[in-house]
Amino acid sequence: MTSYFALLGLPETLILEAASVEDSWRTLTRNEPSGSLEPDLNRARATLLDPVTRLAHWLELRAPDARVDRTIEPALMDLFSEIGPVIKTTDDLLNRHRKATTALARAVLTREAIAAQLRIQQLLQRLQTLKTSLIERFDAIEADVENGCFDEATKSLGQLKFLSRWEEQCRERLLSLIAC
Amino acid sequence: MNENESIIIGIDLGTTNSLVGVVDSGFPIVLADQNGDRLLPSCVSWPAGQPPLIGNEALRSRILSPGRTVTSIKRFIGRTFADLSEDEIREAGFTVVPGTVGEIEVQLDSETRISPEKISSLILQRLKENAEAALEMPVTRAVITVPAYFNNTQREATKRAAELAGLTVERIINEPTAAALAYGLDKLDEESTVAVYDLGGGTFDLSILQMKDGFFEVISTAGDTRLGGDDLDRAIAQHFIEVLSPGPLSPEEEATVMVRAREAKEALSSEESVIIRFPFFRENESYEVALTRARFEELIAPVIERTRPICQRAFAEAANKGAGRVQKLILVGGSTRIPLVREKLKTWLDLEPDVSQHPDETVALGAAIQAGMLCGRVRQIILVDVTPLSLGIETFGGLMNVIIPRNTTIPTKAGELFTNAVDNQESMAIRVLQGERELAKDNWLLGEVTVPFSPGPRSSARVGVQFSIDRNGILEVLARDTATGEDHVLEIRNAAINVDDEAVERMVSESIDYAFEDMNERIWTEATFKSAELLPAVAEALTLVGSLLPDEDRAAIDRASMNVRQILEGTEHNAPALKAANSALDEATQTLAALLVEAAFSDLD
Repeated sequence: MTSYFALLGLPETLILEAASVEDSWRTLTRNEPSGSLEPDLNRARATLLDPVTRLAHWLELRAPDARVDRTIEPALMDLFSEIGPVIKTTDDLLNRHRKATTALARAVLTREAIAAQLRIQQLLQRLQTLKTSLIERFDAIEADVENGCFDEATKSLGQLKFLSRWEEQCRERLLSLIAC
Repeated sequence: MNENESIIIGIDLGTTNSLVGVVDSGFPIVLADQNGDRLLPSCVSWPAGQPPLIGNEALRSRILSPGRTVTSIKRFIGRTFADLSEDEIREAGFTVVPGTVGEIEVQLDSETRISPEKISSLILQRLKENAEAALEMPVTRAVITVPAYFNNTQREATKRAAELAGLTVERIINEPTAAALAYGLDKLDEESTVAVYDLGGGTFDLSILQMKDGFFEVISTAGDTRLGGDDLDRAIAQHFIEVLSPGPLSPEEEATVMVRAREAKEALSSEESVIIRFPFFRENESYEVALTRARFEELIAPVIERTRPICQRAFAEAANKGAGRVQKLILVGGSTRIPLVREKLKTWLDLEPDVSQHPDETVALGAAIQAGMLCGRVRQIILVDVTPLSLGIETFGGLMNVIIPRNTTIPTKAGELFTNAVDNQESMAIRVLQGERELAKDNWLLGEVTVPFSPGPRSSARVGVQFSIDRNGILEVLARDTATGEDHVLEIRNAAINVDDEAVERMVSESIDYAFEDMNERIWTEATFKSAELLPAVAEALTLVGSLLPDEDRAAIDRASMNVRQILEGTEHNAPALKAANSALDEATQTLAALLVEAAFSDLD
């Protein structure tokens, strides 16, 4: 397994500044005449810029056999039970919007579309807050792992993966709603 | 190898016009043909028993032999027949039929069928000849531009067309990216975020780029490969047909109306009104239709509006990826000459459009710059583009599993591990998809790859499959057997090969034989759907904001709704009447729709 940290010449740590990832990527891309390394450089950049994939990659380098903890914490479960129905009603609304062929039929849906947009924005904010609180513990996670304890790392990664997935689903709907 | 042998040309293979450029003494230029023309109309015509005509000559025979003259072939390249809508088949202006493996073919006469790739290759060949004449040297290498939103199959088909024309494709670049390159070549020391709005003859793209330290990086891109100037022409042509009401049109008459519509569009981009003449249109009768700028804008507004959600999507995604505020909006493509496009963009995006670039030539200049960089004739700029569409595979239950999300920086690669589900399973077929929809069937099927397994009990064979997208935006699939460590390229087979003969037969007959017979019934049914959408929407909207509506608008809506109802209740299925009544109601309710949207937003405050 290649280390994306090593590839970009960065220290193998969870606490990385986006600017340092970008700077390394630029320098290496500029000096890569053959271009054969570019897919790896691009992957490395994308992986390390996103804290969730950064944690996953870092953990894989440290403990290739560690399993991601896929249990959902109760607090997340509550949020998930809110997200599900919102996504479903939004999809239904988007479907009706897609089928509408006249300005008036679309206009009739505007009120609902705005309401859905607000709901999703609120959900995205809560998801972001939860993510941030987990990401803020990266230094503690790193210290634990150095001491041979992987529990919090695998657990955090599990929660972060769920949060990212939901975030992505919400954002996808928000993009479609903006275009309504 | 001397410098002449290594020359690379840049080609913009457009829906309406194509161009060829090259870098000369450090500057990109567009090359002219022997008549001094820089634009080659993307048109090919086959006069019976003669070699094909290409460009202006072909365009001139459009009205005389419409069925044997092909325009806008770019709309068909790299697509399957099943993917075409009825409108696309009907409005092509020539006969489109499915080939043996479900691909598209153009039928010139009972004996001659020709592929969109071959037709495109004739245009490319002419550009190659023009370049050779202008440069006085042989040319064999090219950079070709494609719409950013072209999928893998469309890119590959374009590449094959170039190969048929005797050109080695050194790079495929996206049209808006090429335009940004032409725009930014003399601004390399500046740092800025720009949006390129590229509305061409048949395709629309919007890309947002960041220019910094000699890097041109695409942050997000969105588009529609079936939206462009052709659709504007059609909206105007429809208006002419309504005014002239000549009944069913012959192919010659249809071609005439389309040609006149385009002339009207071009004239009204600078003039306030035009009179379009139809001399000896039918039975030696001549007609005249006057069209004002205001009416023209009403006709084309719905088409222009379709670019709005695409812009919003690209802007939202760029913001989400942390791009700074967009500082410049660069307009490219012939259709951006239309004043209405510029006005709308100003309101939607709150940016003053930058019209410093030549709408028809910028993309070709960008292609020439990229070609110049590849053969060392211009200073290096690092172009970093993205893949416009998510790439994925079909999973159980018919869902799409995304492997490389849209707007991922290319070149890129991603791997998936597959294992045998039963003992001694020999292989597994994977369907590769591109698109943003959740259900596999709503996305483009790029093809199928077969992953081979070595014999063994279930779950023992492990094959890593690597999906990589190169800098041309073209996919390659590699399989690595984890036991042997051997890599090999998996062929992406055209999955449409499975379309059975009967289905193809049905598609053909539906498109050709029945097209005229049950036309009335089909239009009637389609029109009833529209009435069923409009009438309840009118009722609901009137309850909500009816009190805010001026009396005369209210009266017009009541009249128009009554008319729709009466036709629906009539015993005779009068399709044209219902269609017209729907349009009238649609038009009468524009103010009501705007009031409704306004009310929905004002509730927010």
